[in-house]
Amino acid sequence: MSHDLPTTTYKINIERVDTEFLRNKLKLKSLEVKKNFTQRYPHVEKFFTDRGIDLGKIRDHSAKVIATGALTGTLLFAPPMGVKNLPQLTQAIKDVSDGQTNSPNIPFQELLLKNLHAILPQKIGPLDRSTEKSLEQVFQQIIGINARAGLEGEHLNTTYGYIGAEQHLMRYPGDTMATHPKLPEKDEGMAPGRGAWGYVPKENETWYAVVQTLYLPDWNTRQPYLRDWYKYRKVLIVNTINGNAVIANIADAGPAAFTGKQFGGSPEVMNYLGGPRYKKGPVIIFFVDDPDNKVPLGPVEYNEVNMPGVALTQV
Amino acid sequence: MSKLFFDHLLQLKDVDKHIKKIAKTAEEREELWGLIDEIVHHKVMGCILDNLPRQHHEEFLEMFHTSPHDEELLFTYLRRKVGENIEGLIKQEIGGLAAELLGEIKS
Repeated sequence: MSHDLPTTTYKINIERVDTEFLRNKLKLKSLEVKKNFTQRYPHVEKFFTDRGIDLGKIRDHSAKVIATGALTGTLLFAPPMGVKNLPQLTQAIKDVSDGQTNSPNIPFQELLLKNLHAILPQKIGPLDRSTEKSLEQVFQQIIGINARAGLEGEHLNTTYGYIGAEQHLMRYPGDTMATHPKLPEKDEGMAPGRGAWGYVPKENETWYAVVQTLYLPDWNTRQPYLRDWYKYRKVLIVNTINGNAVIANIADAGPAAFTGKQFGGSPEVMNYLGGPRYKKGPVIIFFVDDPDNKVPLGPVEYNEVNMPGVALTQV
Repeated sequence: MSKLFFDHLLQLKDVDKHIKKIAKTAEEREELWGLIDEIVHHKVMGCILDNLPRQHHEEFLEMFHTSPHDEELLFTYLRRKVGENIEGLIKQEIGGLAAELLGEIKS
């Protein structure tokens, strides 16, 4: 005689098991690594313990150190090597105005790149406030977008970093690439999991960006405000190699710090920034100051003319 | 702001790819990322301390404690005390860890 299997015992969520299985494995691995470390370096373990720091969570300590430095007005980061000094930045801004008023034949893209080269440091990483201010003016005058590094008191961990290719996000339960719009070439497919804000409405999915909200120092303490503030927040993304610019909205959190990237872009965003083969590159990301919601998502075609040697859509 | 001085050497994108395949929600994904982060921090620090002579450990730890984000300061120090190849050594450690983690994830 056959019976139905007891549901509580046998209806196991396989996906859940996969995650838990991996979590347990990583937990074990983490414990093993920590144990080995403590055995080899008891003096280092003591050093951190005495200061109330867990080496595994050293990012939290880094966040506190940097936030304290910023609050007390000390230099958060040394002035970047590439940023020479303020007069030169001022000259860069002046060049923008001159380009608009006196030299209408200079392609805006060339003008933007010239200014970016003058303003940006050689090393890709967090920018100081004066550099960000200069960039805000450059973007306003050349690209015509009112973009801010900090908006309503919020600021990303870094505004200058590497963007990496992300996959399409699910728009509703059961969404698949069979019905999802895709790129004609080298499409990334669909992410198996949902975005940080769940399913992403169609109008937000095409031009979306990913930022590291999870590493914000106050992410855990200022909920749900920050979660709401970042949800579908518009950002201007500028490829610093070719000057391509796109407006996207934030629809997911990441990438993980250990990937070496700080931002992510939807397949459409990445395709516009650098073409179908563009999977990683340096960009600037600023919030769009758009209280009336008038700035549309998608490419910012501020310059239809390609500059010699640097194609508009290919790095 | 959260930055560590060795962040630019971290390249575990294959590990991340597998995590994304398995985690179904952002919360699950971030929890797994956190565990990997813990492993990475211990491995990188272990690699540095293995190569840094014992008499410099305290000095380095003080600098790291004060400025964990300062790439220039800490790598300048390590290049002087360990040698020019310190970044290569860390990269090698990360490469080995990536293979180890992928083995764990796939098994």
